[in-house]
Amino acid sequence: MKEDTGKKILFALGVLFILVFCLVPFIWMLIISFNERADFIVNIGSQLTTKNYIDILRLDNLHFLDYLRNSIIIAGAAALLSGFIGALAAYAVSRISFPGKILLVFAVLSMSMFPQISIVGYLYKFMAALGWINTYQALILPYVSWSLPLALWIMMSYFSQIPYELDKAAQIDGASKLQTLTKIIFPITLPGFLSTILLLLMFAFNEFLFALMLTIDYRTRTVPVGIALFQGLHGELPWGYIMAAAVISCIPVIAIALVFQKHIIQGLTRGAVKQ
Amino acid sequence: MKVNREFKEALLFVAPLVIFISFFILLPICGTFWTSLWQDVAFISKKFIGLENYVRLLSDRHFWQSTYFTLLFPLISVSLEMFFGMIFALVLNETFRFRGILRGISLIPWAIPSIVGARIWQLIYRYDYGLANLFLKMFGIQSINWLGSPVGAFSALVLADVWRTTPFVAIILLAGLQTVPNDIYDQAQVDGSNFVQRFFKITLPLIKPIVIIALLFRTIDAIRVFDLIYVITEGGPGGVTTSLSLYGYKFFLLGDFGYGSTVSVILFLISFIIALTYIKVGRIRTSIL
Repeated sequence: MKEDTGKKILFALGVLFILVFCLVPFIWMLIISFNERADFIVNIGSQLTTKNYIDILRLDNLHFLDYLRNSIIIAGAAALLSGFIGALAAYAVSRISFPGKILLVFAVLSMSMFPQISIVGYLYKFMAALGWINTYQALILPYVSWSLPLALWIMMSYFSQIPYELDKAAQIDGASKLQTLTKIIFPITLPGFLSTILLLLMFAFNEFLFALMLTIDYRTRTVPVGIALFQGLHGELPWGYIMAAAVISCIPVIAIALVFQKHIIQGLTRGAVKQ
Repeated sequence: MKVNREFKEALLFVAPLVIFISFFILLPICGTFWTSLWQDVAFISKKFIGLENYVRLLSDRHFWQSTYFTLLFPLISVSLEMFFGMIFALVLNETFRFRGILRGISLIPWAIPSIVGARIWQLIYRYDYGLANLFLKMFGIQSINWLGSPVGAFSALVLADVWRTTPFVAIILLAGLQTVPNDIYDQAQVDGSNFVQRFFKITLPLIKPIVIIALLFRTIDAIRVFDLIYVITEGGPGGVTTSLSLYGYKFFLLGDFGYGSTVSVILFLISFIIALTYIKVGRIRTSIL
């Protein structure tokens, strides 16, 4: 009985801790974004306002909508491509035995541990040689490659849960491997595939270093780079604008996190835990 | 012949992946190694200089400072993340009414763009009206010049990193906790041990493999830290919070690709060695196939 009470109190404290820990900085961002001045707390007379939001959505010279469009196109294209390519490879790895398979998987997975900086310098030269600096493909192609280890890893764990008998049955009916994948296996793993795509989307949407190096201006710059490079006219950072932009860029990812919480956790941990 | 046909099919399936990774990861990595052997500065003619860039590293004080930071930062922040992540995971593993919502909320710091998190913390550390100092004031503690002092800037980065990545650690550990069957606890409860003892005697040993995986992921990620520092401290004050990633980037920015690549190669080797050590010591098996 005594232990139960002790445990309950600890548990309640734990819940409170998680809420405060996760939400306070986040709520602080919201508050600043709706204030006239970032120093409102020591500067009485500052008023609540939606001006920051209206400005970043209206003022063309802030380019926030451009950044948002670029981010959506780049992250969307990268996530879809990476998801499909990863699924194809994962299917082969989980179904076909071929020489060098384990080596391939191990090599690909270990690539997710490379520091981005050891790639981005040469990538810049490579893209510059192709004349691709400040283009969408200069970001999409590296993003696809960079997120492929994650895509392969998660999709492999989904495929490995589907009984091999299904493939056998399809092949006896004369279906090729590709037909088996697209007509039978893929529809079954569709929920898993979608949660993989969501993770890949978040991944690409949040990426910073590649985007910082490989873009030059509003025509391809993504939201994180835009937010990081926001400059004030007179030295002081335009905190209201920055926070309003930050809030808007958080909306899609938070919506995904809250709604698909279960799928994201599953997707991330599928590979880590052998079931 | 069947083997041969299967091999060809497999080749087709994995070909796109191999092509993408070869062009945009392997080629650049090799390119970086190659470039590190050259004097390669914008607007100056290129020259092959062998290991001269590496010799230059030896006497480069800022390089050693960055290396020191790059090793110390993961050590401290990852330890804290593991501690808080375990608390998160233990709470989120209980059964209660709003568990789904709380799990969703706890994902927020990790799900939002790292640059957004960095901007939030940058503002929290403002000396005059930042939340951190206002909080200290509430307890009558003197304001800290967070970003202006070496210790302050270091702690500021650690705190921001712990905020951002504790959810990730929690998710991984939670997956581990979920594999622990409940009847093990029932047995222990009969034996009269309390929940703290049960955690250290039963739970922790059982989820040890996944703790090591979480450690590996986080260490490798913290070693290449860039986004947070780029925004919050810009490597300062006096370069004490410059990570090797940021140090290398600064040379790329100046057009010095030779030396920037050399710094990047060192960071690559450091993370490679650390990953290998984890895999060896932690006996991480390729349970993937």
